Amino acid sequence: MMMFRFYLGEFFKKLRIVSKHPYFGFLVFGVVLLTLRLLSLAGIVSASMMKPLILTMIYAVVALGFSLLLGYGGLASLGTAGFVGLGTYFIGYFSGILGLPFALTLVIALGGAVVLGAIVGFISLRIEGMYLAIITLGLSEIMKEVFKSFEVFTNGVDGLDFRNFALFGRPVSDLGVDLIIIFVFILLILCTLNIIKSPTGRALLAMKNSDSAAQSMGIGLMKYRLLAFVLATIYAVIGGMLYMMDQEFSIPTTWSLDFSLNILAAVVVGGAQSITGIILGTFMIFGLNNTVLKNIAFFRTYPDATWILSGLLIILVTMFYPGGLIRLLVTIKAWVLRTVKKWRKKWRIHRYGEDD
Amino acid sequence: MLEKILLVVASLFVVYFVVDFCFFQKQQKRPVYQQRLINGLLLAGILLSFYFAIAAMTPYLFIQIVLLNIVEMCVLILATTGIVLIFKTSVTTNFAQGTMATVGAFSAAKLIIYLTANTGYPMATKLILAMLFSAFISFLIGLFVDTVIFRHSRYANPVGKQMITMGLVLVLLGLMPILFGLLPLTIEAFSYDTQIFTIGQNIFVVPNHNLYALAITVAMLVVLFLALRFTKWGLGVRATASNETVAGMMGVNTKLITAMSWAIAGAFGGVAAFLFAPVGSSVTVSFMTPVQVNAFLASVLGGFSTFGGPLVGAVLINLFQTVASFFNSVWTNVIVYVLILFLVLAKPLGLFGKKTAKKV
Repeated sequence: MMMFRFYLGEFFKKLRIVSKHPYFGFLVFGVVLLTLRLLSLAGIVSASMMKPLILTMIYAVVALGFSLLLGYGGLASLGTAGFVGLGTYFIGYFSGILGLPFALTLVIALGGAVVLGAIVGFISLRIEGMYLAIITLGLSEIMKEVFKSFEVFTNGVDGLDFRNFALFGRPVSDLGVDLIIIFVFILLILCTLNIIKSPTGRALLAMKNSDSAAQSMGIGLMKYRLLAFVLATIYAVIGGMLYMMDQEFSIPTTWSLDFSLNILAAVVVGGAQSITGIILGTFMIFGLNNTVLKNIAFFRTYPDATWILSGLLIILVTMFYPGGLIRLLVTIKAWVLRTVKKWRKKWRIHRYGEDD
Repeated sequence: MLEKILLVVASLFVVYFVVDFCFFQKQQKRPVYQQRLINGLLLAGILLSFYFAIAAMTPYLFIQIVLLNIVEMCVLILATTGIVLIFKTSVTTNFAQGTMATVGAFSAAKLIIYLTANTGYPMATKLILAMLFSAFISFLIGLFVDTVIFRHSRYANPVGKQMITMGLVLVLLGLMPILFGLLPLTIEAFSYDTQIFTIGQNIFVVPNHNLYALAITVAMLVVLFLALRFTKWGLGVRATASNETVAGMMGVNTKLITAMSWAIAGAFGGVAAFLFAPVGSSVTVSFMTPVQVNAFLASVLGGFSTFGGPLVGAVLINLFQTVASFFNSVWTNVIVYVLILFLVLAKPLGLFGKKTAKKV
């Protein structure tokens, strides 16, 4: 018994140290998601609840990449939809139609993402601020038109089917796809965490606050802007590939301005500089309507009405909480702590009397 | 002939990129002669390719297609004007311009249905009333947006302001099906007849709707530019555009000026959507999106710093589309957008943009 208590104490001591590690929270989050998915297998969590959650994770991957641009690089881009669409068509064409092995598809897709990101990065060197959003919007429109017209690659306006996803020559079941998505999601969160805590992330942050100051500190604009766009494009393409694995269908009309705006909304609403904030924001914009709101009759008649909520959230958050909802949580936490402290002090005074 | 055009354009851009990359990292500011060289090359490239293109499709066909596309041009010009007007006073690019206009068009279509059911007005009266109503509704939305939202977010950074307008797009997109139902509505054209001109031996056909649209657009633009030049409001707009704080100190009521600019921009959008609806077949939630995208590109192409530049940009985009659609109707938009992308890369401040000094 003594030994057991000793080991328990040691364990909690270790746990306290481990839980301070920045990875810890996200790993626990991953385990929770995994458990939820496995529970839905047993029928404890309903599948109609799980599907939107998986989709939200895919969007969160895209949003993470976008936050590197907006939250850290300070570059507003509206080209996200085009890049995600490109990811879906990469896997749909190379893996689905041509039947290449997945590893090769991944290499091609990542190569494509790097090239495309570098092109947009070069554009961003010439065109800044508000104009960049417009030009990337134009770029996204170009890609949408290409998706519509380049029928060999994308099957045109009818949309591209992608079934029988195979990994190492073996077909992957729905459960397998979901596990892959959860794994990639957690992996990319950890990647993002590493990037933003590294010198690269600091350089991006410096660049966001002031170009001139960053340059005078020896941060090359060209290198870091290209890097930011390449990273964001890679995340978007990976998100697109995951989307194709999950939804098994991609059609050009999905990859329009609305999608880019929603990703932007997710990042802005949650808080562009915090990973927890981005996950929260993505859930608010993409997950909430499919898990909770669709049970309300009003939103079932007018499915687009959920956009009102996202729009209002964006407007209110930008006007009053530029740091995002995560800042609101921090404020609330501080307020609660303060109130608790105040009442404890009052209680002490009541219990032991005022000390003079 | 197509090869020739592509050759000219491609060679010019290759020259440009070589010049650009040679001096890109070495110098922050280019010497004036290089700038002029690049501008000259680009201008020559555009003019040459235009000349070749028009020669290939014959001037007669070119003019005929332009005449058929007048409505699109007018709509684009009106939308662009609205965007520039808002940019001048609020220093933000209004992504909700198209959506605000769509609400106007929807209410106009509803008014037409109401008038047809309840009164015996002739079609022309109904349409004019509907157009005014469309402009009025968009006017109110513009006013509302400025007084309720933008007046209170003056200290948000430019990208933040942009995001507010994007949020507005989502709100309006969500509201429209609730207010106007889920079905697309229609707005009739002013007239479905056509005019036939004979110049020399060529016969040109113009739909009457195009002529009315052109008349309305020209009238609105003339009034706007006269107002900007000669009225107190115009002076206020120009003062606010140049420096909002100082204008406020000098006794300009900047709040009113900004609100009126939003409202007038909204009204321009409303008229544009009304004119575009008969061409774009029906009024749906996103029928103004292509116009919106083109209007943005036109503003960037012309440069936001002048009022006239974006209008030239709008006309240019329309001409590009006219020429490109003759050669390849499937890839029209891709060709035009890529061309604009290259033009903007060459001149980041737009064709008529002026460089403003930035304080660090």
